[in-house]
Amino acid sequence: MESLADKERLPRDIVAMRVAKELPDGSYVNLGIGIPTMVSSFVPEGRTVFYHSESGILNCGPLAEEGNEDIDLINAGGQYLQIIDGMSFFDSAEAFAMIRGGHVDVTVLGSHQVSATGDLANWMLPQRGVGNVGGAMDLATGASGVIVAMEHTDRNGEPKIVQECTFPLTGKGCVYLIVTDLAVIECDGHGLTLKEVAPGWTPEEVQQLTGAILAISPDVKEFEL
Amino acid sequence: MPGNRLESSNMVLRAAQELFPGAVVALGMGLPCHLPFELPASGGVWFIADSGALGYTGQDNDGVSVDAGGSLVAMLPGGSFTGVVDVAGILRGGHTDVAILEPSQVSTKGDFVHWTTEKTAGLFAPGSAVDMAYGSSTVVAVMPHQGPGGRSNIVEKCTLPVDGAGRLDLIITDVAVIKVVASGLELIETAPGWAAEDVISITDAPLSVSSGLKELTVDIPAIVPPNKVYPSAVDALLDVPEGSVINVDGFAGPGGMAHYLMVGLRDLGVKNLQLISNTAGVARVSAFGSPNIIDHSILVENNQVVKATASYPVSPSASRPSAFEEAYNRGETDLEVVPQGTLAERLRSGGAGVAAFYTPTGVGTLLGDNKETRTIDGKDYVLETGLRADYCIIRGHKADTLGNVVYKGTSRNFNPVMATTAKVTVVEVDEIVEPGQLGPEEIITPGLFVDRIVVRPSDFSAYLDI
Repeated sequence: MESLADKERLPRDIVAMRVAKELPDGSYVNLGIGIPTMVSSFVPEGRTVFYHSESGILNCGPLAEEGNEDIDLINAGGQYLQIIDGMSFFDSAEAFAMIRGGHVDVTVLGSHQVSATGDLANWMLPQRGVGNVGGAMDLATGASGVIVAMEHTDRNGEPKIVQECTFPLTGKGCVYLIVTDLAVIECDGHGLTLKEVAPGWTPEEVQQLTGAILAISPDVKEFEL
Repeated sequence: MPGNRLESSNMVLRAAQELFPGAVVALGMGLPCHLPFELPASGGVWFIADSGALGYTGQDNDGVSVDAGGSLVAMLPGGSFTGVVDVAGILRGGHTDVAILEPSQVSTKGDFVHWTTEKTAGLFAPGSAVDMAYGSSTVVAVMPHQGPGGRSNIVEKCTLPVDGAGRLDLIITDVAVIKVVASGLELIETAPGWAAEDVISITDAPLSVSSGLKELTVDIPAIVPPNKVYPSAVDALLDVPEGSVINVDGFAGPGGMAHYLMVGLRDLGVKNLQLISNTAGVARVSAFGSPNIIDHSILVENNQVVKATASYPVSPSASRPSAFEEAYNRGETDLEVVPQGTLAERLRSGGAGVAAFYTPTGVGTLLGDNKETRTIDGKDYVLETGLRADYCIIRGHKADTLGNVVYKGTSRNFNPVMATTAKVTVVEVDEIVEPGQLGPEEIITPGLFVDRIVVRPSDFSAYLDI
């Protein structure tokens, strides 16, 4: 029998594509580093999303072309951006007032762990002794909705979705949706519901790689892109 | 019979003698509002009005700008517009040097009543007088000595609710200038033709007479703007003492970081510095930086840093540690990790005179541990304190000689908010221009926050081989 560890999972861009479907038309969205950064490439046609970055920009556009990098025009990940119409700049206090005041509708973040009650742990690995919190706690607490986009298991094959987080928390009960390379899982603050599975995967297989109990939605289906 | 009483315009002009080059001056409603209309426009002081006009004169009007009383004024070269929150920050954050108010009553202890009168006793309407009274270094009252029926406006104890308790430093009336000292009120000047006894006889509070009592004059002092331009980074930072708390601007990469000032600080070798900054130097070890770029590491490697307060203190990759992380692991530095938004808000608060605030960020996490918590409307919050610093080094694009600064793109980041928090703010810019060349709508950091300006040499590179 084929081991689940070797079974084919969805590539990162498909995870990003699935997340993109969740972004409402006209919403203000902050994307974290990693898979979340890729989400902007897959927003469905006809839908307008305004991107916010902690570096002090609203309405971030595409990345700058090579040779046109400007150190005065970066996103929070340090990537160079193009100038686009309608872009605005502001200072850090205002950038975070937007986040902390609930004006950012959705943030998409990567994570080390997410718990059954929607706790997020994404800023520090305990073994290092120090961590970079950056804007993660502000986003987790202040954004109206937090979507986590990540691999279902860590590099050792351990589940990243757990009953209770063992890593230092970023925010409590803040995650409402988890999209992984295996599944789409809803969080209502009390428990997790499996809504979609990757092609070729059964709910039972996803459960086996998950450290928390999943309620299986009666209409569980294959990833809908 | 004593001499004539001073006309209102002269009472207001006497207040101008309390101003000095570069002073930030807040004016209350009534007589004080007239000062910019009486005083020649020199640009040597910053008048601030609740309307958001900063740096204006009443000697002219531009048809658009108004003062707090709604009178048309003109912006001076280097003047700028601010929103009400920034006005409040300037008034409350210790940035206002002199507030001039027209109270209806003042007391021996320096208490004053501003708007409330017998007719409006139940209607407490202080406007921004309370903010001015509590946020300004010096508070001057300009008022008629007596009210209707010859009743003294100076009393032993105020008879109406006070807007500022013990906040007055000086009282200028139409017959005298009186200083508020620890023992009470001291008469220091009398109007021409008025003897000390004449003033005492119409005052309902004990007055001591200064040994240096002199005649009140309304000579208008010439106030020229202070020179803020320094020849080099080292000159601008020469007086930084050991153990200083220093705000260092920048997001993470090379943009918006005062590399030239940082090198100056390194060359001066000042020890035991406590840095407040978004990172503790990661530009050398990040994908967006380069190994020979100037960042906080040059201070860490020179053993000048004992503590960092930061949101993103270490390298994104554990296998490529920064100089700070190595020093931290050797036990040579302390570290306080603060969520980035909380860091920005702690700086904003520190600069606006807010001692502490409640925020939900960090509740239930390591960074909320051991902090005071409170439940408000069913939601949990932690108490975070405002941050202040001794010095602040920031990076602008252009500044005028009054210290007004504009930035480029995302290089604005922490600069404007940090500029409000330090005793001495030093800005490094690409270019210095004359006042008026940066428009009032364009200015992001008003010059009243900036003490020193240096030009980054044109051949200076953030990627210098250091």
